[in-house]
Amino acid sequence: MSSPTRWEIFWRTVMGRAYPRVVGMQRERSWLFFETFLPLLQVSAFVFVYRAIHAPPEFTGFVVLGGAMTAYWLNVLWSMATQFYWEKETGNLELYIIAPTSLMAILLGMAIGGMVGTTVRALAVIALGLLIFHVEVSVVSVPQLLGVFLLTLVALYGLGMLFSSLFLLYGRQASHLSNLLQEPIFLVSGFYFPVSALGFVVALGASVIPITLGLDAMRQLLFPTMMAQFRFLDVRIELGVLAMLSIGFLWLARRALSHMEDLSRREGRLTVRGQ
Amino acid sequence: MSTELAVKTEQLSRVYKAKKREIIALDRVDLEIPTGELFGLLGPNGAGKTTLIKILTTLLAPTGGRAWVAGIDVAQNPWEVRRHINMVSGGESSGYGLLTVEENLWMFTQFYGIDGKTARTRIREMLEIVGLADRAKTKIYHLSTGMRQKMNFVRGFLTNPQILFLDEPTLGLDVQTSHTLRGFIKDWVGKRLDKTVLLTTHYMYEAEELCDRVAIIHNGRLLACDTPGNLKKRLKREVVFRLEVTAIATPEKLFQDLRGVRRFSHAEVNGHTELHFILDDENALPPILTAIQHSHGELISLEKRDPTLEDVFISLVGRSLKEGDGSAEAAEGEP
Amino acid sequence: MTRQRAVESIRSLRTAAWLGWQIESNWATPFLFAIYSIAKPVAGALILVLMYTVIAQGGLQNPLFPQIFVGNAFYIYVAMVLMGVSQAVIEDREHYGMLKYMYVAPLNICVYLLGRGVAQAAMATVAVSITLLFGIIVLGIPMPPASIDWGMLFAAWLFGLAGVAFGGILLGGIALITARHSFSIGEAVAGALYMLCGAIFPIDVLPRPLQLLGQALPLTYWLEALRRALLGAGAGELLSSLADRELLLILAGSTILLAVLSVWFYHWAENLAREKGLIDMQTMY
Repeated sequence: MSSPTRWEIFWRTVMGRAYPRVVGMQRERSWLFFETFLPLLQVSAFVFVYRAIHAPPEFTGFVVLGGAMTAYWLNVLWSMATQFYWEKETGNLELYIIAPTSLMAILLGMAIGGMVGTTVRALAVIALGLLIFHVEVSVVSVPQLLGVFLLTLVALYGLGMLFSSLFLLYGRQASHLSNLLQEPIFLVSGFYFPVSALGFVVALGASVIPITLGLDAMRQLLFPTMMAQFRFLDVRIELGVLAMLSIGFLWLARRALSHMEDLSRREGRLTVRGQ
Repeated sequence: MSTELAVKTEQLSRVYKAKKREIIALDRVDLEIPTGELFGLLGPNGAGKTTLIKILTTLLAPTGGRAWVAGIDVAQNPWEVRRHINMVSGGESSGYGLLTVEENLWMFTQFYGIDGKTARTRIREMLEIVGLADRAKTKIYHLSTGMRQKMNFVRGFLTNPQILFLDEPTLGLDVQTSHTLRGFIKDWVGKRLDKTVLLTTHYMYEAEELCDRVAIIHNGRLLACDTPGNLKKRLKREVVFRLEVTAIATPEKLFQDLRGVRRFSHAEVNGHTELHFILDDENALPPILTAIQHSHGELISLEKRDPTLEDVFISLVGRSLKEGDGSAEAAEGEP
Repeated sequence: MTRQRAVESIRSLRTAAWLGWQIESNWATPFLFAIYSIAKPVAGALILVLMYTVIAQGGLQNPLFPQIFVGNAFYIYVAMVLMGVSQAVIEDREHYGMLKYMYVAPLNICVYLLGRGVAQAAMATVAVSITLLFGIIVLGIPMPPASIDWGMLFAAWLFGLAGVAFGGILLGGIALITARHSFSIGEAVAGALYMLCGAIFPIDVLPRPLQLLGQALPLTYWLEALRRALLGAGAGELLSSLADRELLLILAGSTILLAVLSVWFYHWAENLAREKGLIDMQTMY
């Protein structure tokens, strides 16, 4: 039997690692309540804030879209970035390291597997917006919308892979970093309001987080009239930047994972447990 | 056994720097393991066995020296090394609780690029061999420790590695399960001349039963490396006695200055003191018996034996693996 | 027997608080901890600030803003303490493999879980204080010390904290019988209650059925009491008919009821977990 090629190992690893995620979610469905239904209520809270201060109805749409994308951001932070820490604690990480596969393949598998649950949550939030809060959209361009969404996800998960390299080295300390990246990112990326409200400079800095430009572009494509006064950059520019971020983060993630693995191996941290 | 080397180390060292001191986990270890050998690494807890395994399996970088596995430098080209190896550790808790035995094993085969059909066939066969076939569809969080270890055992062999590292694989398992797994290891290596196994253990009988050659490691240093028979022959000229006496307060003071006592170790067993002596010759025995009498101890049993690996260990290290502080100073260590 | 139980409970609380602090204070550097303590709560507050600035008439001068700011600040307790207490179950079970040993030891498990939440409560207190200071100094929210009703503040704070802690026990019971994705249960429930308890908008804005749900939560009265104590007035019309004393009594009564229900539920979940062999289950995927 001939040896499998690197690409064969890569794709088998992706499928192999995605499998536990998909199957695990089927076997214990309480996540539907905790990670789908309950977050809907949180999104609703922000909708009611806007209602309390008599915001235009499009702002409900902004919140709903932000709430949907929150699912992906949290998935990246907690089910990807911190995952190597959990794998290390259970002894799986060392088995991944000694296998002739790449950590990026493992992470990609986790991302694809996790995306099932995340997408269910995102769709539930959108359904809430459309059915309960009667959000009205006018789609400017479906291809552009899909393009923005997909590029945002690729860039976002690339960023997640970059973060996960930190966890190889820093263990539990890096989970506090993940915690730190929740509310501040919700703020500067404009999850619940147009990012242009932060001023050009802050919004530009925040654009390094793919969701910032992704949300802004998607809002422009879904609520063009309201976003005319609140948009940050033209959709085509945002698409271009997202494409560059995708390539950049994936490349950086590859380098960082390799470097962090080497560093962890030198410092003996790959198998340290109980942090 | 081939003359090609499966594992080679040259002055391999690993030093950990703690706040105010350095911990030498491995101290200039030189080792050569030819292909086809079942090689044992024997030593107490903290001797450096796991550190050596971690370096050879690319989990840890050495701080000095070099190591090659399947002819590939572990520090320079770790990815290439991984194509040729696998590892099983004792007391493992790896795997995903919500997946079944079969699913966990299948997932790991995918990391080695094994196609689905081959993977499933191997899994079925291996589970049958270790007696887990009826648990293939059981979620692993329902398994007992022994069953989980069997599953991890299978995981190590499934990928048909050229070199397999077994780090205390029977740790914490019951007698029956340990016996089954040892039989499995012996059979696997015996039938495959191109496969090599490096087994670490602190069970003497395991090393004697399984290994073609054994290296004794202590405080990060390799003290001896040879076949179990040759290692025991080192003590051919000495005489080995095992005594059981009623409890003695300070055996070190009693025996350390007696002529003819090369090494001794002691352990408290069921309220009695068990003493192992390596003597120059039988004439060294009467003073020992007199010393016991003077300390108001009573001799319960006395046995003259052929040297075992444990005696070899005691002669090199100055104490037994089970502990009981030494007598004479520890050996300087020569291979 | 009662004395022995009391001793066990005190020991459980003390040990758990120490353990919780050891785990939570496992930081890379104190500098990072400082950033975390300031950045996280301030960012949460700024989200609201920006929403008001962009949309509300009068921006931060809108009379509703101070009420909402105070509610949002104290809500930090809810997320952190709910999370701290409920996550302890998952952490001890799946991460440290220690839950089974806690159950074998002679300790009061509910008190132990409460103790594990102490570190989170301490960190939340720092975060809440920083947020309030930010509001007073940077945003100009008027809270002169002389006009604060300290007695009401302390009473409300105490009952509220107790209510949140027992809420964590209830969620801990759920975590005991579900897989590890309930790791985020504390945060998820806190997010859901955000909508119902009037933290960031008066519950008057909610549809009537949701208003009734909100009025059944101790948290709603807690936040209202805190606002009255600090700002001299609550938010919205629905609760304005309640006098301060009535408010505190409802808060106390609902907190006690929640405490009883939570402990009862936890013990029920515990029995179920014992029956099904879930106390040491591992559900990683």
